[in-house]
Amino acid sequence: MNRITSYNICFLLLMLGAAPAWAQLRIFTCEPEWAALATELGGDRVEAESAVTGLQDVHYIQARPSLIAKVRRADLMICTGADLEIGWLPLLLRQANNPTIQPGELGFMAATDFVDLLEQSQVVDRALGDIHPFGNPHVQTDPRNIPRVAAALLERLQTLDAAQTDYYAARYADFSARWEEAVRRWSTRAESLRGQAIVTHHKSWAYMIDWLGLDEIATLEPKPGVPPSTSHLARMLEQLQNENVRLIVRSAYQNGRGSHWLSDRMGIPAVVLPHTVGSVDGADDLFGMFDVMLDVLLEPGE
Amino acid sequence: MNWAALDITILGPALLAGAIVLVTHVPLGQEVLNRGIIFIDLAIAQTAGLGVIAASGLGWDVHSLAAQLAAFTAALGAALILTWTEARFGEVQEALIGMLFVLAATGGILLLATNPRGGEELRELLVGQILWVDWHTLGPAAVVSTAVAAIWIRGHERFGRIGFYVLFALSVTVSVQLVGIFLVFASLIAPALATRNLKRYAVRVGYGVGLVGYLLGLILSAQFDLPTGAVIVWALGGVAVLSAWLIPAHWSQPAENRRDIPR
Repeated sequence: MNRITSYNICFLLLMLGAAPAWAQLRIFTCEPEWAALATELGGDRVEAESAVTGLQDVHYIQARPSLIAKVRRADLMICTGADLEIGWLPLLLRQANNPTIQPGELGFMAATDFVDLLEQSQVVDRALGDIHPFGNPHVQTDPRNIPRVAAALLERLQTLDAAQTDYYAARYADFSARWEEAVRRWSTRAESLRGQAIVTHHKSWAYMIDWLGLDEIATLEPKPGVPPSTSHLARMLEQLQNENVRLIVRSAYQNGRGSHWLSDRMGIPAVVLPHTVGSVDGADDLFGMFDVMLDVLLEPGE
Repeated sequence: MNWAALDITILGPALLAGAIVLVTHVPLGQEVLNRGIIFIDLAIAQTAGLGVIAASGLGWDVHSLAAQLAAFTAALGAALILTWTEARFGEVQEALIGMLFVLAATGGILLLATNPRGGEELRELLVGQILWVDWHTLGPAAVVSTAVAAIWIRGHERFGRIGFYVLFALSVTVSVQLVGIFLVFASLIAPALATRNLKRYAVRVGYGVGLVGYLLGLILSAQFDLPTGAVIVWALGGVAVLSAWLIPAHWSQPAENRRDIPR
């Protein structure tokens, strides 16, 4: 009895200690990169959390009651959009039944609405695999896309929390200046990569490739979302025999077997690049993500 | 700990889906255990899945009535084959059920070799996402399940073996799309195991075991933020073991015999 009471008191004290003096904006994002961006702009005025971690595949999600509860309580939802989360987001939004964060409302933001999408003109046919009809949605791998989303996010934050307009504006200005400087630094570092050939696991690096001027000469998946088969890999090996390939690139959640198979036979490194915040060691925020990305591209270990 | 997730509007539809599955699976599970054909469930569910894959290969929407009919037709086909094999090769029925399971499972892989979307759908069908169920899909499922359970409990002696297989195919096809194959299997077998020796109240105790299992699983999943379907399977297992141990011993004796016991 005594122990239970003291537990309760401890719990209450903890709750009181953790609760900030003001009401924070509750932001729930589909991917970690948008939660990281929301924290950059919102500071301690916002509480941002992502549905998927850096180690999970954003195309799929395991339904847990807490996900629905968090979406229900959210003031703002930020997702990538362009059908990336088509397999689960509509279901999650329907179950959560929170009218303020439905698509089209002020409380819902799709990052791809503010970015020019690559690969838009593809023929859409289910037989071609996981192709996204609105274009390639993996926009976060080009740092030049981040400010466009940040500008749109600033506007949302200022509308939803009008009392703190200046606070957000100041944080945005600070972030933008640091980001601009960082992009310059990354672009200079990456100069030597221009024109280099790489092999990717999934078509999720299109924006990074566009930014750095890399040459994606092959993809391990025969069709997006279809795991590489042995015969497909063997054909690739033959085709790539005379090419000068620098790297084989995949994301943390992708199975490394295909990459390593090809890597062993071609004698080129297979690496994991950070596709988002929290996907590899050191990629703890957006700046860290691109720092690590360039470290790995310039000096592939493994 | 996550108190916000412990919300009846989040967990309610999932609990109702569980109840709909249990309505048919508790009595049918006891029959399955009696006949010693445990894996029939997995075989029929896989065959229903094969029907859905074939339908999506023909370009039909997976959630359409046509795909539902394809799933049921495939499951019914499997049920009829198993009715025939039980009569013809009864001594190896369990082995044949096992073969049907692996044939249906690998048949799905072959049909899906080049279709990633289909793979996603198959996974969803088998693992199931009990939290995503909504009132819209629960309605028809409730009607079918109640009808199957009523027909089975009232008159299964009358239409014998073929009646069992047909009703079983129908209820598995409906259930597997609500909660997935793992939960369907657990709902069928865990209450049946818990009530194996009961001569009285077997169906009622079975319903109790199932409902407590689902409720406990949902609460644990909300509290510890774990995938819901998998936690419910473990809760059903735990509740089945506990209740098999706690059920009064005299319920395991036929009612008429008890009168003969002195004291």
